[in-house]
Amino acid sequence: MTHPTKLPRGGVDPPTEILVSRDAVIANAIIPSRALIPLLQHSGKAAICLVKPGDRVKEGMLIGKADGSRSANVHASIPGIVSEVRELRLPQGEVCTAVAIDLGGEFETSGKPRARREWQGLSRPDLLDRIRTAGVVGLGGSSIPTHLKLAVPPGSSSPMLVANAVGSEPSMSADDALLREKAPEIVEGLRVCHALLRPARTVIALGENSEELVPELERILRQSGMKAEVTVLPSRYPHGHEQLVLAALQGKPPGTGTAATVLNVATLFAVFEAVLLEKPLVERVLTVTGSIVRQPRNLKARFGTDIRDLLEECGGLTSEPGKIVVGGPMRGVSVDSLSVPVTKGTSGIVAFGIADARPGAELPCIRCGNCIEACPWDLVPTRLYKLIRMGDPAAAEREGLSRCTECGCCAYACPSRIPLVAVLRDGKRSLLSDRKGTPDA
Amino acid sequence: MRENPGAAAPPPLPLMPAPHLGVRLSTKRMTWMVSLGLFPAAAWGVFLFGLPAMGVLAVSIGTAALAELAVTLPSRRFTLADGSAFLTGGIVGLLMPAGVPLYVPAAASAFAILVIKQSFGGLGRNWMNPAMGGIVFALLSWPAPLSRWMTPRGGALQDAVLTPLDALRAALAGPGAKEGSPLAILSSAGYSFSGMDTSVVGWVNSHLLAPLGTSLQPGSFDVLVGHVAGGIGSISAPLLALGAWYLISRGVIRWHLPVFYVGSFLVLAAIFGGLGSGRGWLAGGPVFHLLSGNLVLGAFYAAPDPVTSPLTNKGKCMFGIGLGVLTFLLRYYGSLGDGVAASIVLGNCAAPLLDRWAARRGTVESAS
Amino acid sequence: MTTARLNPPAVLFLGLCPAIAVSVRVNDALWMSAGVILVLVLSNLGMRLLSRENGPGESSNTPGWAGGNAGLLQALVITSLLTACFEAALLVRVPLASASLGIYAPLIAVNCLVLSHGGPGPARGIGASVTSALGRGIGFAAALVLIALVREVLGSGTVTLFPMGGFAGTIEIRPLVDQPVRALGFAGGGLLCLGYLAGAARAIAARTEARRTRGETSP
Repeated sequence: MTHPTKLPRGGVDPPTEILVSRDAVIANAIIPSRALIPLLQHSGKAAICLVKPGDRVKEGMLIGKADGSRSANVHASIPGIVSEVRELRLPQGEVCTAVAIDLGGEFETSGKPRARREWQGLSRPDLLDRIRTAGVVGLGGSSIPTHLKLAVPPGSSSPMLVANAVGSEPSMSADDALLREKAPEIVEGLRVCHALLRPARTVIALGENSEELVPELERILRQSGMKAEVTVLPSRYPHGHEQLVLAALQGKPPGTGTAATVLNVATLFAVFEAVLLEKPLVERVLTVTGSIVRQPRNLKARFGTDIRDLLEECGGLTSEPGKIVVGGPMRGVSVDSLSVPVTKGTSGIVAFGIADARPGAELPCIRCGNCIEACPWDLVPTRLYKLIRMGDPAAAEREGLSRCTECGCCAYACPSRIPLVAVLRDGKRSLLSDRKGTPDA
Repeated sequence: MRENPGAAAPPPLPLMPAPHLGVRLSTKRMTWMVSLGLFPAAAWGVFLFGLPAMGVLAVSIGTAALAELAVTLPSRRFTLADGSAFLTGGIVGLLMPAGVPLYVPAAASAFAILVIKQSFGGLGRNWMNPAMGGIVFALLSWPAPLSRWMTPRGGALQDAVLTPLDALRAALAGPGAKEGSPLAILSSAGYSFSGMDTSVVGWVNSHLLAPLGTSLQPGSFDVLVGHVAGGIGSISAPLLALGAWYLISRGVIRWHLPVFYVGSFLVLAAIFGGLGSGRGWLAGGPVFHLLSGNLVLGAFYAAPDPVTSPLTNKGKCMFGIGLGVLTFLLRYYGSLGDGVAASIVLGNCAAPLLDRWAARRGTVESAS
Repeated sequence: MTTARLNPPAVLFLGLCPAIAVSVRVNDALWMSAGVILVLVLSNLGMRLLSRENGPGESSNTPGWAGGNAGLLQALVITSLLTACFEAALLVRVPLASASLGIYAPLIAVNCLVLSHGGPGPARGIGASVTSALGRGIGFAAALVLIALVREVLGSGTVTLFPMGGFAGTIEIRPLVDQPVRALGFAGGGLLCLGYLAGAARAIAARTEARRTRGETSP
């Protein structure tokens, strides 16, 4: 086990206690009576719908076929009958087709143990095929189809493979819980990726909160025969971000080190299920938390479940909600109703009471420099903000706007409550639309 | 989804941009906390100088508030709640003599708010520290009223005395003896200290320091505690330091600027301070100068104003050193009183340059 | 208003040195203004007469003097000559004023050269040229005297005019004269007043511009 010494700068420590008890096991959420499954749950093109209203679907059946290479398969998470196929506006704003399935019929595969299949003898294309067929995408926030991330040209190898369990956002303990309960399976998934990429160096990166898992992990690694290091990094937001984990591991400024493949532990678990159990991706673990949630828990929920049902399973809300966020508290998207389906990218649900919902009045920038101290990417957010507000996003671009990952540290640290992330995002958008407007650019 | 067919749709939840957490210390709270940090020193000043001091503070803060209202009310904004006008008026008042005619703090406050702050666009847009700009304006316009200081505790307005700093300057310029520390020079020039000072210093010397072979100069207690003529708030360095410790520990002020400011000033004063008066190297009397004048107030409350000081910590350190050098030069070799307000104003002109020099690694400098 | 576009100290920020120095007292500002108006009108007259000799049809986009370097030289010579005459006259007749204007008197020429720019061309009559010069001179004088009024009233508590009959020439404003706002008497204070005047001029110009375009576009 190692502790890297040259850590990235910046980041913030929001004082949100992990509300979900660390000893609590992941509970299976109640199967919903109706699942609304969007066909766009990944980054890339939406899947092509294969069903129409009235069709009978089985659990795990393919209902959306990947549209080209930058796309992913979508499967039915519950058996039943398709009641409607309609347009759905996702929380991030995109509109896509969604399939509504009313529960009915038998669960043919749930609850029954699956036999583990052999995979060591499979060729690389066959392994990738199993992953692609199962519709596995990055579950740590990127939602990039995993078979794209794991595809290297034949004969070459990736320099480094990292299993990222550092923890993406404050209060989101789903990855930690998964690692506690399913460590052998996750290591097995890592072995599959190792076989695909043949990296020179393999690392499992943990956050400080999970440090007690290190002996167990090292034991499992020895048994599996895979040569991998276990590293513990400080749990500071956003140091679980892919680039910052690599920066800590390689000891270089973020974005300047050698490229590597970083996969979230939940994704590795999905890879395990896809390759060894040939099970499609129909559910994921997420954290339901918030000061007004009666019993915050980690739940394993099927895609298409309403978040309202999940909140009820956690004992409901203790008071009127002021804001509901899908995702984590720093990067999540606030939604205007509780009728939002769980998708592959839903890492959690955070419920805020009315008192905590609003940030307070916005005051002018007082040039305190907190945002500069907080930014892990060495940007000067106050300057970028002013340039964009003055209508010059191109100048902001020259000063590093494209390096911004919208982590939210600057806006968190701003005492004047300036919505920095929103302004920076607008700046990026206006640059993009400027570029689209000039065809020869 | 279990929907009640007859129920009306619930009102939509509010949509807000990420992130959904924020640091607890807001700008408003920070500004009021700075005013709170000044409170012990202000209370001590009012206690020592009585009602006239209260009047000066009331006028300076009141004028600042009125000036701010005059500018912001027509555009229907109410900015008094953010506490910056109150703080500007407070600092201006605390640097004034207790017996000053009331039009001086009024004009200084009004100038600070109307010209230095609001003419540039209000909070966050000014490039010069408003309180310091107002003080410099007052020093240039009314030098005579601003050098009539009251004796503390029962002094009448007509009994103008010199502050220890001005008295030291006069003594050094005069023909008398110039040996030893500043307090020794003051004693030999006949500057009088209070009775309490005599008894405390005498007790300490006879009981604690005599066995060690050293002694405290008469006047040490007075200067330390703040029982001297001077600005209402600037006389008591320990109380100001108390407030400053509170502010730094809560993260309202960063320690870099004040520490480098005071540190560089003390180093320069210790090494070079005696040169101007012919007493040689290492004879500058740094501790005396630390406790006199507006240095502590300026370094911990006025200079770290985030709007007018550099953005990065490295820049703040360089700024502090620059201010220390300027204050040393202006105080030991200049003639405009204390030197702190003028050096902060001059330093504000250089702050954008420091932002450029101390930019973070990895930032691409724009061509502008 | 051409002055709103051309006023050297307040709009173009030219000739700041004499403007600041001269506007400390009202009567200095009045003498300076008198000089500017006189020299401006006479030099414009002179150059129009001379350019008529050069023949009509001389097109130039800097009317007021004939175009090209020859025209500039012509303007320089005429203006400097007239300024020197004014200075000499002042020295002989009103030596006190000459002393207080001091080295800033020759800078009347600078202000006149800037103010002559962009006047009505040779196509229009001499009368138009003279009226325009008069107008600009008065506009310049108004700005200068306004600044001087503010600076002297607030900065020294007096208004220094010309002694006439029983009047000694200086009006004292009682409370201010004992403890005036001395900062305005310094150059910094003068620049401050100048800055606010410039701001006001721009605000007025912007408003008249907006009103004009609104008037043009409204049906």
